[in-house]
Amino acid sequence: MDDMKLLRDFGAALEHEPPATLARQRNRLTEAKPRRRRVGLLVTGLAAVATAAAVAVPTLVLRGHQTVAPPTGARPAKVTTGTLNVLVVGTDGEAGSERFRHGARTDTILLVHVPADRKEITAVSIPRDSLVQIPRCGSQPPRKDMINSAFDKGGLACTVKTVETLTDVRIDHMMEVDFTAFKQVVDALGGIQVKLREPVNDPKAKLRLPAGTSVLNGQQALGYMRLRSYGDGSDIQRIKRQQVLLRAMLAKGKKMLTDPAKVRAFLGVAGKSIKTDEGFDLETMADLAVSMSDTRLTGFLTVPWVPSPDDPNRVVWKQPDAGRLFARLR
Amino acid sequence: MITQPATRGADAELVSASWTEPEAFAELFDRYSAMLYRYVSKRLGPEPAEDLVGETFLVAFSRRRSYDLAYADARPWLFGILTKLISRHRRTEAARYRALLRAPVEDRVDSPADRVAAGVSAQAARPELAGALAALPAKDRDVLLLIAWGDLTYEETAQALGIPVGTVRSRLNRGRRKVRAALGHTNPLLDEEA
Repeated sequence: MDDMKLLRDFGAALEHEPPATLARQRNRLTEAKPRRRRVGLLVTGLAAVATAAAVAVPTLVLRGHQTVAPPTGARPAKVTTGTLNVLVVGTDGEAGSERFRHGARTDTILLVHVPADRKEITAVSIPRDSLVQIPRCGSQPPRKDMINSAFDKGGLACTVKTVETLTDVRIDHMMEVDFTAFKQVVDALGGIQVKLREPVNDPKAKLRLPAGTSVLNGQQALGYMRLRSYGDGSDIQRIKRQQVLLRAMLAKGKKMLTDPAKVRAFLGVAGKSIKTDEGFDLETMADLAVSMSDTRLTGFLTVPWVPSPDDPNRVVWKQPDAGRLFARLR
Repeated sequence: MITQPATRGADAELVSASWTEPEAFAELFDRYSAMLYRYVSKRLGPEPAEDLVGETFLVAFSRRRSYDLAYADARPWLFGILTKLISRHRRTEAARYRALLRAPVEDRVDSPADRVAAGVSAQAARPELAGALAALPAKDRDVLLLIAWGDLTYEETAQALGIPVGTVRSRLNRGRRKVRAALGHTNPLLDEEA
């Protein structure tokens, strides 16, 4: 009997069979996404960007479309030509509602990456609780703070500047969507059809729907996007629902391209409720829409993160993983 | 090197499927969680094992996009992650082996047949083995146990730890030498073999 055999036998004597409770660890896996994040706008921004892009046609002019000035100072150079990086922020602001208009928070920060071949969109979600170094924005001195405070104190331009500094990814365009904008986009599309296996009755999401096929209006679609306690309650399922909704929006938007009157109506609202930089104009959107006719919405990623050592309620980006992820988007 | 044609349902396919369908990853859990559990239970005992297995899959899940799809078998990858997590429990592990120096192994219910199969000399050698494992440098112990207890090959161990195969061999030799030295007094047969 040699030493390896003895060692193996020793191991066999120490070994324990997995208990049934090991299955609990499997659930951890299927609920792997951070739970504290306020639901809402995880992909709302992406929906709006895709929808807006899909329905923008060169014969129309965006009127009443609000623009935001790009950040000032040095910016990362564009590495790969033809790629497009759009920073979409979803805010919890609700235009016309007193309660929300005081300082909006960027509930969702999404970096949407469209590669040069336009085949697949990748959306990287930046956790809003990320503790990061925020650069000098206007009169605000540089500081270490939560990334969503960049928007609160310095607006969209400051958020873009912060993301550019952190990732070294050149942001080509930026877009801001709030709750109102999302609802208007859905309403302008004439509602979105969803199929439900079980009825929904969720006071938190303010949503009641029967089982089967329903057409959601803007308010209901917003509730559906934010819906949490449904199905097995997992985040994975929720993201799936959002993707289904998103694809439905995109499909409907594309169909509209054939009806100029509807497109006009749509752009009337979408243009007003979504803010972009000046460069992200009609022509750019139209180009994007044409080139994206076969695009698939695939990856929804989250910046790799770990709990902050200073504060367990905050996260810090995990390096070098985060760096590697962003390097792919340059 | 010849790459084997990927068979249907290879681990690598599950990993790549999970890039777009995260649920696919759960299948990997079903395949390997029990195996990883048994391995940790040997090194650290049953208490931390459950959590560490869960942790391993969470880490693996978050890194699934950097998985090298050229490797059809995900076991070395999972063992590599697990080994890193175990290293945080180095003190627990050493204390466990030291405790085994003093007390007989009784925390597993063996049938008499198992005990016979395991061999009388293995029973007798346990304090020496435990002492040797406790005294080994962590790097040598990782290699030795991935091979002896994790059933990985040299190549798989190299892949799991991200080190060259030559390093695996030298660490294994060093580890085995020390184990044999510890056993020297109890099992004269080993001297012939060495």
